Amino acid sequence: MRFLVQKYIAGLLLVAVIAFAAGCESDQSVHQVSAPPGLKTYRHAMDQAPTSLDPTQAANVYANHVVVNAYDTLYAYKYLARPYQLKPNLAADFPTVSADGLTYTIRIKPGVRFVDDPCFPDGRGRELLAEDFVYSIKRQFDPKNQPQGAWLWQGRIAGLDEWKAAGSDYDQPASGLRAIDRYTLEIRLTRPYPQLVDTFAQGYSAIVPREAAEKYGKALGVHPVGSGPFRLVSYDSSRVVMERNPYYRQEPVDLQAEGYDPVEQAYTGIEAIEGRSPPFLDRLEIDFITESSAAWTSFNKGNEVQFTTVPIEQIDRVLADKNPIRLRPEYAARFHMYSGLEAGFVFTAFNMDFPELGYSPDPERNRRNKALRCAIIKAYDWEARNQSWYFGLATYFPGIIVPVSPEYDPDLSRDSVTLDVAGARRLLRDNGWTPENLPTLVYGTTAGVTERLFFEQFRAWMRAIGFPHDKVVRKTYATFGDISRAWKRGELPLVAKGWGLDYPDAENTLQLFYGPNGSPGSNDANYRNPEYDRLYERSSVMLASPERTAIYRRMNQMVTDDCVAMTGLSRTRIYLWHKNVVAVPDREIVGGFFLKYVDVLPVAQTRPEG
Amino acid sequence: MNEFSSVAGARAVNRRNSIWRKVLRKFLADRTGVAGLAAVLVYFVAALGVWCGWWGTDWADLGGSKWEAVSAAHWFGTNIIGQDIFSRAIYATSTAFEVGVVVAVLATIIGGVLGAFAGFFAGSWIDELLLWAMNVLDAIPFYLFVAAVAYSLAGSPYAMHVAMITSFWIGTGRLVRGEVIKLRNMEYIEAAYAIGLSRFMIIFRHILPNTSHILLVQASIAFVSAIKAEVILSFLGIGIRDGMSWGLMIEESTKEVLAGFYNNFIAASLLMFGLVMAFNALSDALQDAMDPRKVA
Repeated sequence: MRFLVQKYIAGLLLVAVIAFAAGCESDQSVHQVSAPPGLKTYRHAMDQAPTSLDPTQAANVYANHVVVNAYDTLYAYKYLARPYQLKPNLAADFPTVSADGLTYTIRIKPGVRFVDDPCFPDGRGRELLAEDFVYSIKRQFDPKNQPQGAWLWQGRIAGLDEWKAAGSDYDQPASGLRAIDRYTLEIRLTRPYPQLVDTFAQGYSAIVPREAAEKYGKALGVHPVGSGPFRLVSYDSSRVVMERNPYYRQEPVDLQAEGYDPVEQAYTGIEAIEGRSPPFLDRLEIDFITESSAAWTSFNKGNEVQFTTVPIEQIDRVLADKNPIRLRPEYAARFHMYSGLEAGFVFTAFNMDFPELGYSPDPERNRRNKALRCAIIKAYDWEARNQSWYFGLATYFPGIIVPVSPEYDPDLSRDSVTLDVAGARRLLRDNGWTPENLPTLVYGTTAGVTERLFFEQFRAWMRAIGFPHDKVVRKTYATFGDISRAWKRGELPLVAKGWGLDYPDAENTLQLFYGPNGSPGSNDANYRNPEYDRLYERSSVMLASPERTAIYRRMNQMVTDDCVAMTGLSRTRIYLWHKNVVAVPDREIVGGFFLKYVDVLPVAQTRPEG
Repeated sequence: MNEFSSVAGARAVNRRNSIWRKVLRKFLADRTGVAGLAAVLVYFVAALGVWCGWWGTDWADLGGSKWEAVSAAHWFGTNIIGQDIFSRAIYATSTAFEVGVVVAVLATIIGGVLGAFAGFFAGSWIDELLLWAMNVLDAIPFYLFVAAVAYSLAGSPYAMHVAMITSFWIGTGRLVRGEVIKLRNMEYIEAAYAIGLSRFMIIFRHILPNTSHILLVQASIAFVSAIKAEVILSFLGIGIRDGMSWGLMIEESTKEVLAGFYNNFIAASLLMFGLVMAFNALSDALQDAMDPRKVA
């Protein structure tokens, strides 16, 4: 026994020594990654890493955050205006539009230049010209780039599809996209496209110099060369470090023009940036911290990341009230907070290309598959998901038009988001589904404890309606990029994902189910309904109006009636940031554009809580 | 006393004085070891119940609401999605035993056989080759090795087992090799040669059985090591893929403890601690009981 005691004491000492050594190493690593002293640095945190910084791959919020800071876009969203409003960014003004709504003429600002890079003669960045925009949009139609953003302009801008079909030769023109002169663009559409200007505020439309794309090829994804407010210093799966672009154009902030609301936003101290030209930071560091608890710890240490979302497991500790959301005094004293419903939603779509549960050449099987999908939807317990993962703070709703969209219909039947296990079992039984003939549901997730529990919860719901344990299986992917690629390739029968609105229009979620946008486009469900597609095409040329809203709602109902997806839920975002950081963070529509307006005050200048 | 009864009596005396009886007596005299064995048996019964479907079958069900406290319905409370932590902890016991037994048995067999070959042919190219393999495998950090194996086996649920077996046989192999080098020069081996037994027969019939004290102790050590490694690997996300383990429970608890909910962490940690302690005590007692110097 004495030997045992000695052995365990020795073991404990060994653990202590290892922990101490690890601690030393950890401290050392923090010092190694810290910014050089004297530089104004802001450390942001995001929960996933982008897999590429090439605008052709800016398919998610993580890539977009970096891309729009390394590159320029013609338009952007006003920093502070809610509801969201567009503003010219690289463009000198809003476009001039022809009477038929088909021709857009856009002037860009002269004198804007790319950052210095070896891809240019003498390594000196040249001026950005209208031709660069033409080149950048063409890249989205070049199969060699495996682009993900073509769906925004496919069949809309005249000549681009033909240019692609003719072999994507950049020296050949595309009839509907050309530079009239050094600073003027002309875009001709095949049909009116009211959201066109919104698409030019997306990372997909960021402007890439041809020299860089040709020199770096695929490596452009890790070596951005743009004209945005920051230039890349380093990038890996754990962080992006950027520094101020010394050539960024001088454009003093006009808070009124940005939509400043003193009543709602004065507490952030945002008035401090009035009249000054962004960016205000010398160095921008974005840490990709997958585990929310790690991000939270880093945020609370005070000398690491300065921004975070509130991890769901911390809600009860951090909030004094959930309705309205209010911080506990100890947190309110240290941090600023902003909360609101996300401009997006989470949902799980069925991949209709899987004949086991989607489209089948056999009409009878088609009918049974629809019953199967409807049963699965009935078994999906949105209330449990809301309580488990969002502390009841989220809003779940029927269909795919999210609550922040003006076209959202609060009176829509909630049957599709109401748990009905008995109804689901009945539906399966009446349509000849038995545990023996039910298909295997492969549920893809990234590797992580939260994702595993999402899966376990889903499997338990499916078991409740008769799925055998081994017919609901998990397939794990190392990163979000990996699973995203699997969705794009149509490899998974279930697509459990989130979608953030690219622009504040329900069209942006309705296009997720538009037939021609099928994989590898944004329609991961590969839903093909001719009537839906017809209505989509009809509404897509209409300006906002009651008639368009009615069409949107009909399409919404179709997706619900065809049982194409378990949908949906919008999360309440709660952002915290250090009080010496002057910012109104926004991960939604404004996205990464807000980072150029961030300023960091010396701690002594920190404003008291307003 | 006739001749027959004297022979029978001598056999009875021999049985009483056999090495295994001495080992058993010595082991039973070690209270810590016996307590360890009793605890291991309790865990084994828990695992057996899971395998037979007597309990723990509802580990994946949503039997309650989020983070329920300890109650009669949920002895260890529930996790974030309402699963019963007691059922998951008990189910995880079977996982631990399954991993422990598979790894310990296979690593011991491989280590014993290869160690015996290396020892029997010490100095030959067979020995050199096996020593080289041991050194190479020893030089690879264990957790990196597991990650590499898991990756190369494309998410196979047995990647962890393969990696552990590949690493754990080495210790056994080295010890057995040393013992066999000693044994192969003994007179009874020379006698076996003299009567014309083949080398394989000598190794498997006359040498390996005499390393059983090493194999038994090494198997018990491998069992405990495998359980600990499984928990760590599952915590890191490269262990158990479909099922439940204490490592996965501890992984779940990393978020929960920040919210002030400790049930998953305590349940998994205590159960793992209990089994590892019990098996260590059993292993130490076996080591003492089978030490030839002490038994003699």
